[in-house]
Amino acid sequence: MKLFAFAACLLAISQLVGCWWYTTAGTSVVLNHDTGKSVLFEGNTTLRNRIAVTAVTYDKVASGMNRVNFQLASQVQKEIHLQYRIAWFNSEGMEIDGDSRTYRPLIVQGLDTVTVTGVANSPAAVTSRIRIREWDSSH
Amino acid sequence: MKTSVICFLCLASLIVLTGCGGPRVYESELDRRPITSRLEAQDIRRTVEKMAESLIADEGVAAATAGQKPVLDIEPMKNRTAISVDMKSITDSVRTRLIRSRLFRFVDRSTAGADIAIMDEQAQLGLTNPKNAIRPGQQLAAQMYLTGSLTDITTRLGRTVDHYYKFTMILKDLRSGEIIWTDEQEIRKFARHEKLDR
Repeated sequence: MKLFAFAACLLAISQLVGCWWYTTAGTSVVLNHDTGKSVLFEGNTTLRNRIAVTAVTYDKVASGMNRVNFQLASQVQKEIHLQYRIAWFNSEGMEIDGDSRTYRPLIVQGLDTVTVTGVANSPAAVTSRIRIREWDSSH
Repeated sequence: MKTSVICFLCLASLIVLTGCGGPRVYESELDRRPITSRLEAQDIRRTVEKMAESLIADEGVAAATAGQKPVLDIEPMKNRTAISVDMKSITDSVRTRLIRSRLFRFVDRSTAGADIAIMDEQAQLGLTNPKNAIRPGQQLAAQMYLTGSLTDITTRLGRTVDHYYKFTMILKDLRSGEIIWTDEQEIRKFARHEKLDR
């Protein structure tokens, strides 16, 4: 009987854990350079300590659209699993085509520096922001 | 007595947690975390975004389209995998993004039958002013077309499954037959203890 009670408790706990696993949200760090300054808005101190935006550059591709490059540097020795999304804004600060911008996976090796690039898909896009979130890397 | 109470409480919580109250449905974000090692919606969205960005940024495309808005058509991508993927939907999404860029014009061969039917009605039913009626032979001709393929490699080792997917897209000039642009998107996912139904 005690064994049955123990098994039932274990099952209940596993159900609870399963529910929480799906609701684990990514954390975010937002880089805002609308004003020409790189300002980090920390949504999570853990992520802030793990990844840093070290450079932001703009140029134009051959078709005339804006392109942005974000240089990201890992601050830790272990591999980190991130997702990033680059959003574009018009001259009035309104996001362009926000629904269609996707989060892309990014795996950064320990203490490595990577550059991610985004190209605007509208001539009206003049500034951009990168949003980074960390995903469970337990696998 | 004490054990019985614990049993009852555990069973009650189990019943509640396993959803006796009916299915729980949530609105999910489009780029959610992967739940299988197979191709998922977020993989398709990333592929479409990457392909559209790559095409817009390509210098060869810019040189070939300098001073004009070329007319493009789509040949649905070929699915060379065993999984079912709506390949036309992928090229349609790329087209949507490219049209928003205002760098290209598109025609759609797949709706040509409907175009002809509407023109026939305009010509034959007598409801339309003949001067305004659209006749066949005035439509834009595609100068280039977009197409591509999806391939995959699946590796299984014990209870670990490793999927590798590769999307390849090309933009081809109809007149010269030249491939003006091409790019790939590679996706690799693996899972342990995943049940496979194919």
